Amino acid sequence: MKTKFFLYTLIGLLGALAPSCDYLDKMPENSVPTQEVDYTNLTNMYQPVSGMYAKLRTSGMHWVIIELTLIREQDVMSGQYNGSLYDKTDKYTYDDSFWGYNEIWMQYYNMIKCANSAIKALHLYEENCTGEDLARNHAYQGEVRLLRAYAYWRLVEAFGDCTVLLDNNQTDMHRSTKESVLRYALKDLQYGIDNMRKVRPNEAPDGHLGSATAYTAMLLAAKINCFLGDFAKVETLTDEIINSKKFELFADYYNMWKIPGKLCNESLLECQCTDYGNGSGDLVDADQWFNCMGPNTVGSKRADGGAWANGWGDIGIIKDLRDWAAARGETVRATTSFLMADAVTPDGDYIGPQTNPVNTDCWNGKAYTPTNQLTPGRTKYGTNNNIRIFRYADALLMNAEAKVMLGKNGDEPFNQVRRRAQMPEITNVTLRDIKDERRMEFVCEWGDNYTDLRRWGDCATVLADLNWTPEAEYFPLPFSQYTSAQGEDLIKTPVEEEIDLAD
Amino acid sequence: MKRLTLTLIIGFAAVCSAIAQLTGVHGTVIGSDDEPIVGASIRVRGSNLATTTDINGNFSLAGNLENTILEISYIGMVGREVKAEAGDMVIILSEDKQLLDDVVVIGYGSSKAKDLTAPIQVVKGEELLQTPSSNALSGLQGKLAGVNVINGGAPGASPTVRIRGIGSFSNSSPLFVVDGMFYDNIDFLNSNDIQEMSILKDASAAAIYGVRAANGVVIITTKKGSIGQERTRVTYNGYVGVQKASNVLELCNASEYATMMLEGNYDAYSTYFKAAIDRWGGSYADADFHNWKYIADSDWYDLMLRDAVITDHSLSIDGGSNSAIYSVGASYTYQDGVLDTENNFKRINIRGSVDFDATNWMKVGFKAILSNSEKKNPNNAAWQKAFNCPPIIAAYDDLNEDAYPIKYGSPASIGYGSNFSNPLAVANYYDSKSEIYNVLANTYADFTIIPEKLQFKTSFAYNFLLNSSKEFIPQYLVSGTQQQTTNSLTKSENRYNDYVWDNVISYNDRRDVHKWGLMAGYSMREESYRYLWGKTSNVPEGKDEYHYISQGDASGATVGDAGTTYRGQSYFARANYSFDNRYLIMATFRADGSSKYQEHWGYFPSVGAAWVLSNESFIEGRPWVDFLKVRASWGKLGNDKVAASDGFASLTSGVGASGVAGNTTIAGVQDSSYFSYLAWETVDEWNVGFNYITLNNRLNIDVDWYHRMTNKAVISPLLPFSTATLAGNHGKILNTGFDISANWTDAISRDFSYNIGVNITTLKNRVKDLNGQTMIRGGKTVNWVGHEMNSFYGFKCIGIYQTEAECAADPLAVQEDCVPGDLKFADLNGDGKLDANDRTTLGSYIPNLIYGINLGARYKNIDLSVTMYGQAGAQMFNRKRALRYSSWDYNFDKAQYDNRWTGPGTSNTDPSASALMRPHNVSDQRYSSYFVESADFFRIQNITLGYSFRNIKMGNYTLPGIRLSVTADRPFTTFKANSFSPEIADAAAQGWDTEVYPMTSTYTFGVKIDF
Repeated sequence: MKTKFFLYTLIGLLGALAPSCDYLDKMPENSVPTQEVDYTNLTNMYQPVSGMYAKLRTSGMHWVIIELTLIREQDVMSGQYNGSLYDKTDKYTYDDSFWGYNEIWMQYYNMIKCANSAIKALHLYEENCTGEDLARNHAYQGEVRLLRAYAYWRLVEAFGDCTVLLDNNQTDMHRSTKESVLRYALKDLQYGIDNMRKVRPNEAPDGHLGSATAYTAMLLAAKINCFLGDFAKVETLTDEIINSKKFELFADYYNMWKIPGKLCNESLLECQCTDYGNGSGDLVDADQWFNCMGPNTVGSKRADGGAWANGWGDIGIIKDLRDWAAARGETVRATTSFLMADAVTPDGDYIGPQTNPVNTDCWNGKAYTPTNQLTPGRTKYGTNNNIRIFRYADALLMNAEAKVMLGKNGDEPFNQVRRRAQMPEITNVTLRDIKDERRMEFVCEWGDNYTDLRRWGDCATVLADLNWTPEAEYFPLPFSQYTSAQGEDLIKTPVEEEIDLAD
Repeated sequence: MKRLTLTLIIGFAAVCSAIAQLTGVHGTVIGSDDEPIVGASIRVRGSNLATTTDINGNFSLAGNLENTILEISYIGMVGREVKAEAGDMVIILSEDKQLLDDVVVIGYGSSKAKDLTAPIQVVKGEELLQTPSSNALSGLQGKLAGVNVINGGAPGASPTVRIRGIGSFSNSSPLFVVDGMFYDNIDFLNSNDIQEMSILKDASAAAIYGVRAANGVVIITTKKGSIGQERTRVTYNGYVGVQKASNVLELCNASEYATMMLEGNYDAYSTYFKAAIDRWGGSYADADFHNWKYIADSDWYDLMLRDAVITDHSLSIDGGSNSAIYSVGASYTYQDGVLDTENNFKRINIRGSVDFDATNWMKVGFKAILSNSEKKNPNNAAWQKAFNCPPIIAAYDDLNEDAYPIKYGSPASIGYGSNFSNPLAVANYYDSKSEIYNVLANTYADFTIIPEKLQFKTSFAYNFLLNSSKEFIPQYLVSGTQQQTTNSLTKSENRYNDYVWDNVISYNDRRDVHKWGLMAGYSMREESYRYLWGKTSNVPEGKDEYHYISQGDASGATVGDAGTTYRGQSYFARANYSFDNRYLIMATFRADGSSKYQEHWGYFPSVGAAWVLSNESFIEGRPWVDFLKVRASWGKLGNDKVAASDGFASLTSGVGASGVAGNTTIAGVQDSSYFSYLAWETVDEWNVGFNYITLNNRLNIDVDWYHRMTNKAVISPLLPFSTATLAGNHGKILNTGFDISANWTDAISRDFSYNIGVNITTLKNRVKDLNGQTMIRGGKTVNWVGHEMNSFYGFKCIGIYQTEAECAADPLAVQEDCVPGDLKFADLNGDGKLDANDRTTLGSYIPNLIYGINLGARYKNIDLSVTMYGQAGAQMFNRKRALRYSSWDYNFDKAQYDNRWTGPGTSNTDPSASALMRPHNVSDQRYSSYFVESADFFRIQNITLGYSFRNIKMGNYTLPGIRLSVTADRPFTTFKANSFSPEIADAAAQGWDTEVYPMTSTYTFGVKIDF
């Protein structure tokens, strides 16, 4: 009897416990589902925007992007000189299976997707906004749209025709012509110009120091209009930047690139990094962006006598440019841009000699941060420095170019740049002067020198010795992309179209 | 390895004269050698009446035994059923050579081997003890058909186990069920803790474990006492031994390295050699660089390796009475690493088990294992650094003034770049330790509702594992690029809290020739994992006691945590039926629910059938067959070891998703708004086989053919235009092949017996479908429909360009500016260009054939066993060589020097020295078959020689036995790959040979004492 009683109790207990249906409805740990974000809490409204700046840092600053962008400039060689695919890229021979091209493609689309979902989130906040908050919301959308336009601009610079991704779940991946893509990007920028604050990035309110403003959008719009050849618009946009009187060239060209020049009044957009002012612990940086450009030689020494941390030495500046600069009488800009082997920098760091006669003996000085400016305890090349993306000097020279192209006088903006570089002023500047000035001012900055040659139609002449052909103007569509699931769409002829701004 | 299967029929009927009333029986149980059998069990069928034989083999039972059947059994003997009769019964048991009567543990129950419809293999604990290893699974290597064990050489290394191939892109590890608890590995067990392992290879056996069974199931029963064993048995078992690194790869020495580099490009590289000679001595006076002399000539592997000790001691005490049995034990394991830094593994285990007949209807029991281990990890990065580091660098260098605390020589001091490190410093400036505490407890109650027929068992198993680890990188400097300016300390705690509650009701009955059984059960489980870590820098150095995060810089300290909790509940059932011991059928079903997926429930049926031909009248008694059974089965299995969270649209936050504003970050979020509906992977498996025993029970042959199709395999292709991946059920993978084993066991005389066993596994693996795509590329390998999964991918080398004329005539050579000595690639699509479309699969690390040979012999007190093992049809990727693309001045292995092309006709397989410094031949974009090597090998796995002393008289006390043994484990291996070992145990490496710890040969001396 006892047996049975005991057993029935036990089986009854089991029966009661077993089919508890919600036992399996267990939420995943440590993960917040998208649909549970509280969009009425407007204090969190900047979060998707901040996430977008992080994407600029983690995707847009991938080291292979800067390397492949820079080595197509006429004056830059690959430190991986020896017949590598970098070297071939330097000589305008492209292997479409090179992972680097695919990485550029994917990283910029990562930015675009991040922006698409950030804008979606901002729209959801927007429904709960009124008055001041609504203006803030629109300004935030402007920032995200600016960064999205930046990604499209960089994609067009790299690949020419590419896909406009209006929705992250889009299935039609056909490409649009580069003009269509850029016109689409300009719409995003116009939204930014209309809605973002008209302040300098270093006066951005709400603790968002260094975030993009309406002037950043104007500068990028001007660059795109230069590319499209609409100089009237370029003049209007750059005039507005200049006439705001908010910007000025940083007097010390050398230190503009170093720690003292972070977020100076010349800056229109930077990718910000920080070590929080601590000699150890977390580092929020752009991974290998600086390091891949650091020199790698024997016997380098820190200014304080300590051991020097070599970089990868991947970006070299060729002697032709140095000779040409010397002939022009360049001083400040030469010292700053040319980080020479077997020489002491103005801050006392010694860069060892290049022992390999076929490799470069000069590196990108604009990516060099003196060791005496590093937070004590830090050794990684470029730690705590920001990456300069857009600066006021570009607005001035574009303004000068637009004026000259429109038959006006561009001397004033042009000579501002010359004066800061301690170069004699020129009157009645010509397009030729502007071309030379841009070559010197912007060497090793985001491939502007190559893009300039393309828009001036100068590639065939200037790059003749380097086997440049019209087919080499843009990178090929990456092998991994045109052989993937969306490959069939990508290999179709790009479509010339007017694309409406998606939400 | 003894092969279990079906019956030997004992056609031996007890003839008896009926007496009106039989009120008791008595008798003796003896073996075929006339020796009494102590502890044999005698049971009256259909009642609780039972006893065991005493020290003289005698037994007696009282009660009304009229017309009853006695069941007599003893481990290792063929059981018998005899009619009870009056007078002095003499029952002779014969040795069960094929173990057909042994009880085999199957999922949630047990069965006699002869009644199985599935190929289940059993390994006894003693067989595992032959291999001196810190991990019990190492001993399985080469012993079982269908089971591929891949060992590693590092101390405490956990072998990779694959049962019948690889059927998942995510996880192909079998499920280990230890006393009812689910595990991914059994690192916490000592071989001495294990009573036996049952390996469920096919679906009809494994399907009862449903969603966790896709990769096969290994059921492990830990030690317990045995019923009726009245004498307490105390056993000591231990060994000490030494491990030596085996098959150490030879690198170029200074002059060979110089020859390669300077033949390759004198102008670019001669500065290094002159600088080395200037710094460390030697001479470059000779005009011919081949005659230059180097004082610094470091053989890095030699400098990094040492002989290392391994030892294991265990003590076990077990015994019992008719109502209670127990077993307790303790063991200690210590294994040092052959890398000459502090790397080792130690483990102390304590276990106990008790089973008690509380009443005549209830049995209760408790088992627990406490395992405490400590592992000092080696820095495996040092192996690749050693391969790369030029031999012309001095290991130690007093001129290296900046260096501290040890004056290591630095490649940077003579101009090598940031990719170069002194490997000794890499190995030494590393302090990584894990302390692992594992408790497994299991308690059960077993109710007899109808004696011998209806049982109900409820059991609760609980596992707690705490892995507390520390990684400390001290402050040091070798050069500007090999330094740690502030030390760093990372600590982490991983906690696992798991429970399983099983409830099983079973009913067994027989009538005439019909035997049937039913089982039904319910199980619920929860697996919780929590992870907490902290990191800081600038901790006081010198003593381990200072290594606390609160001692470091508060400003730079960071913490993080993570966790998962999954729940499961399952219903399962099994039915089996046997007709006249000729026709056997078994069906199982499991409904598994898991919180891990949107699709909570999965259903896993199986069915198996067998026909015992040897029990048919037309075969029975024929001289050419002792036993013959054919079997077939089908079943469906699930794999829930795939990422769970991919199907969840979620927000990313933290520093990585936050923008910077000046000297601070602004909290940011990124939205990964992709969603996929994930379901678990399922495997459909067919098995057809037979078991044939012949030649007077001496030859036992088992053959099985299997066909395993993984459906809905989870693979994570890249999202369009993205570096992010999203898992989906896209794949179909097929594994098919044969498991074959043949064992010959014979005794020539009482003094001499021997056995020979051979096992062969074949495996054909193919990706059958990728949801319409032809190919999905991963980081290391590619999955291509119609090819082996995880295949290497690249250009196919068809030789070496021998002459200028040959280069000029080949459009590919012209396109690539090739010179004689360069690799010649096949233009697979024949378009006259070398491009991405010319790449193909170059083999996979999955072997197509595995074989083992086991030999054993015993003469009087001497026993000898030899195991051999090998594999064929596997490839590996020589990442050590391929990494050269990142620095042209890395060192070479000796074979690259010896076999290099030096002029027309010198080699058609190995490129010239200068070719190894050109991207056409060596590039991360130019992976080719030159870097893919055969991973085939043959090995003498184990040789053990033992000598036993029995019944040693020590005054009044008789010591039952001492066995002394010497073992050579893995004394000899042969293979072609330029590698330490063709076995790459790290499953994530996918056959990439880069940071691989060398394999060891182990030589031990062992003692086993029975008190």
